[in-house]
Amino acid sequence: MHVGISQIESESGKKSIIHSLDGRIKLIITLCIIIYAVYTTKIPVLWVMELYLLVLILVSKVSFSYALKRVLLILPFGGFIALFQPFIRPGVVLYTLPLDITITYEGTIFGILLLSRLIVCLTAVVLLSSVTPIQEIVNSGRRMGFPRELALILSLTIRYLFMFYDELERIRNAQKTRCFDIWNKKTSYMWRLRQIAYTIVMLFLRSYEQGEKVYFSMLSRGYSGESDMYQEKKKISFNDYLFIVLTLILILSIELIRHFYFI
Amino acid sequence: MHIPDGFIPLWQAVIYYIIALIVGFYSIRWARTSLDERKVPLLAVLAAGIFAIQAMNIPIPWGTSGHMVGAALVAIIIGSPFAGFLVLTTVLIIQALFFGDGGVTALGINIFNMAIISSWVGFYGFKWLKPVINEVPAVFVAAWASLFLAAIACAIELSLAGTFPLTLGLYFMGLYHAVIGVVGEGLITTIAFLAIKGVRPDLIYREEVGSHG
Repeated sequence: MHVGISQIESESGKKSIIHSLDGRIKLIITLCIIIYAVYTTKIPVLWVMELYLLVLILVSKVSFSYALKRVLLILPFGGFIALFQPFIRPGVVLYTLPLDITITYEGTIFGILLLSRLIVCLTAVVLLSSVTPIQEIVNSGRRMGFPRELALILSLTIRYLFMFYDELERIRNAQKTRCFDIWNKKTSYMWRLRQIAYTIVMLFLRSYEQGEKVYFSMLSRGYSGESDMYQEKKKISFNDYLFIVLTLILILSIELIRHFYFI
Repeated sequence: MHIPDGFIPLWQAVIYYIIALIVGFYSIRWARTSLDERKVPLLAVLAAGIFAIQAMNIPIPWGTSGHMVGAALVAIIIGSPFAGFLVLTTVLIIQALFFGDGGVTALGINIFNMAIISSWVGFYGFKWLKPVINEVPAVFVAAWASLFLAAIACAIELSLAGTFPLTLGLYFMGLYHAVIGVVGEGLITTIAFLAIKGVRPDLIYREEVGSHG
């Protein structure tokens, strides 16, 4: 969100082998990787997966610094909880800091595990959204059996997401040209809050009114509760099968190797 | 408050997914039957607006900043917790799948906290408090509670998952959100409610009439 929302779309518009894969395949693989990463409790396994994802990013020609920046920006909340683990988890004490703060072995390992998992899952999501336009993912979801209403709501929301981001940016620019700054201590705090609330109200009302307009124009074009989205038929190609089989083989072999060598 | 992937064990994540699916089923049914003329598209576009609203930084004293969730606002204005649920769930799905804000396996739990708890607390808090303490204070308290209770739930869930101890979690999450909630959710929702009442009073759901207007 902090990396411009339009940049995500521009990355997903690039061309590469990964970009050209079917959306369904990419969605399934991302889900498989994330579920396996959450399931496993072995840190080296997660590092191998991360390596695989980095290779995919390289193949897909997605800008490396861009992907890294996105992962780093989303890290804080989860990272905070992971960084806390060495201090709060009971176990063998490694160091004792002043004020009776202890660093435990189990806590450190658990913290690294959480952090590695988090990084793998975030990389997977960043990769998915960098190689597939948002709308394409929703269409793929619908083809895989998302409920009709959900697919309709999601695709409408996505269509207007960019519009309201632009709208917000315009309001912010207008405020900036009038020297408005939410941190400016020379104006009263309540006054600043009120300005922010008014911006929120503007966005709320504009989206509500836009929603009404969209609804009425859909209605006048024959929309009813039973309407469904048009789906272009798409065949799954050889490359798609190859990619999904390769990924599944990788996950399975990691799991087998782990089973026999690490236990 | 978005819980990321890997912090909740898979079997627990499945439980929250099931709860979210059940509420989802009922809210789609609500949208089909009670929402006048199946205004689903309206909620979808409103979700896009809420998405942008959540991206806005709100200054909190002591140098931090927070952002609004908006579940209480939507539920109070549209007049049903189901509306808050549908809008917030849409926002959360997009955040999880495309922005990595909140995990994919943790989507169920995030929906449980921010779409279910927030919307229901916001709506019923407002409904029950309104006759007792008047309309405007009711909006404030309900909006504050919607964020605060979601944060408390989040702390309890993380401790059930064995990721973060309960007392510390309650202390950090509870205290932080109790403070953030006063400004970020409570005050902003109240000002927004009053402003909408001033500009488009017809949008606000009134029980006496039973529908908009």
